[in-house]
Amino acid sequence: MSIVITVPDDLWEGDSEGVITAWLVNDGAEVAQGDLVAEVMVEKAQYEIEAPSTGVLSITKQEDEVVEKGETIASLES
Amino acid sequence: MTTTTSAGTRKLTIARAMAEATAQEMRNDPRVFVMGEDIGPLGGVFGNTRGLYDEFGPERVRDTPISETAFIGAAVGAASDGMRPIVELMFVDFFGVCMDAIYNLMAKNTYFSGGKVKVPMVLMTSTGGGYSDAGQHSQCLYGTFAHLPGMKVVAPSNAYDAKGLMTAAIHDDNPVVFMYHKSLQGMGWLGTEKGATVPVPEESYTLEIGKAAVVREGHDVTLVSLAAGVHHCLRAAQALEDEGFSAEVVDLRSLVPLDRETLRASVAKTGRLIVVDEDYHSFGVSGEIIASVVEHDHACLKAAPRRVAYPDIPIPFAPTMEQWALPNADKIVDAFHQMMLS
Repeated sequence: MSIVITVPDDLWEGDSEGVITAWLVNDGAEVAQGDLVAEVMVEKAQYEIEAPSTGVLSITKQEDEVVEKGETIASLES
Repeated sequence: MTTTTSAGTRKLTIARAMAEATAQEMRNDPRVFVMGEDIGPLGGVFGNTRGLYDEFGPERVRDTPISETAFIGAAVGAASDGMRPIVELMFVDFFGVCMDAIYNLMAKNTYFSGGKVKVPMVLMTSTGGGYSDAGQHSQCLYGTFAHLPGMKVVAPSNAYDAKGLMTAAIHDDNPVVFMYHKSLQGMGWLGTEKGATVPVPEESYTLEIGKAAVVREGHDVTLVSLAAGVHHCLRAAQALEDEGFSAEVVDLRSLVPLDRETLRASVAKTGRLIVVDEDYHSFGVSGEIIASVVEHDHACLKAAPRRVAYPDIPIPFAPTMEQWALPNADKIVDAFHQMMLS
């Protein structure tokens, strides 16, 4: 089963774009639900992205890429 | 929040590594507490106290007014009375207003009391530029603190070292100045250096203060640096490899005590020395490194040592001027070329 990781709609206020500053887990690693997997910077503030379920991480949006709310940045295969 | 992935896969920024080490020590030892400006609910402007306020509350994670004189003085008093404070000077550039507490009290109380009073505190402070914050928010000042006796000084280049050095600093009965470079913190707007975000074990561990690391082995030249400069050296070493030269990179990690043995052993092997330092050129770390090698043995050198350091000027605000002044990999490669020509 594949579950996508998206930028949560309520992660920050307003409609600003963000930038992925760090993937804290390597592509292909297994993560557990609730793990911190990435950091997104929006206007000098850092926001955390957690894994919505347990699975093997497949990154689609790389570090330094611009992201919007709701956008898919990775998927988890379980 | 932590990540529970299998060992070796979880990476942390230096900011998170510092916060994790601090949290683990605060759980173990009720004497450990944190003070500073915006280190509470905000989690520190550089992220290194994130999560601490939520877990430990306002008694042990204390936001202070903008009076470094008062709260660093208070930390010295608390440490002298048996507590183990971690106190943050937000930008090292502002040491001027609290230097008496640092170098006349923190650094000297142990000596003046004949060892009866210990001062087990950590003074953590941000260093470095590269993001146009001008001359009062971009300095490194490594040499200023390392010059004055009575305090240990560390400056990590990656999150693994940062966690181990932070834990060691909190355990240490001596005052430790923990200098973290802003570009390594994992805060994007400060010009994040990717190489600083590395796998970090979740369990607590210490890294011995005063031990340098050979982070890349080579035999043609020794590149010595600390903090952000290590990453410039690693890029330069890669560029030199493409030209057919093999550069060794030494990460000092600590300035006090300085691991002169590792330095000397590396230069004895390569015969050439380039010191890279984002602190000012004159009267500082780069001169001390070169002196430490040549006063021990100048016969091992095949060429005069060189340094790639910050010019002796106040740091410019204009991005082009600041980038012109900062050390970088191209300047290191150029210094090596000049060394081979002379």
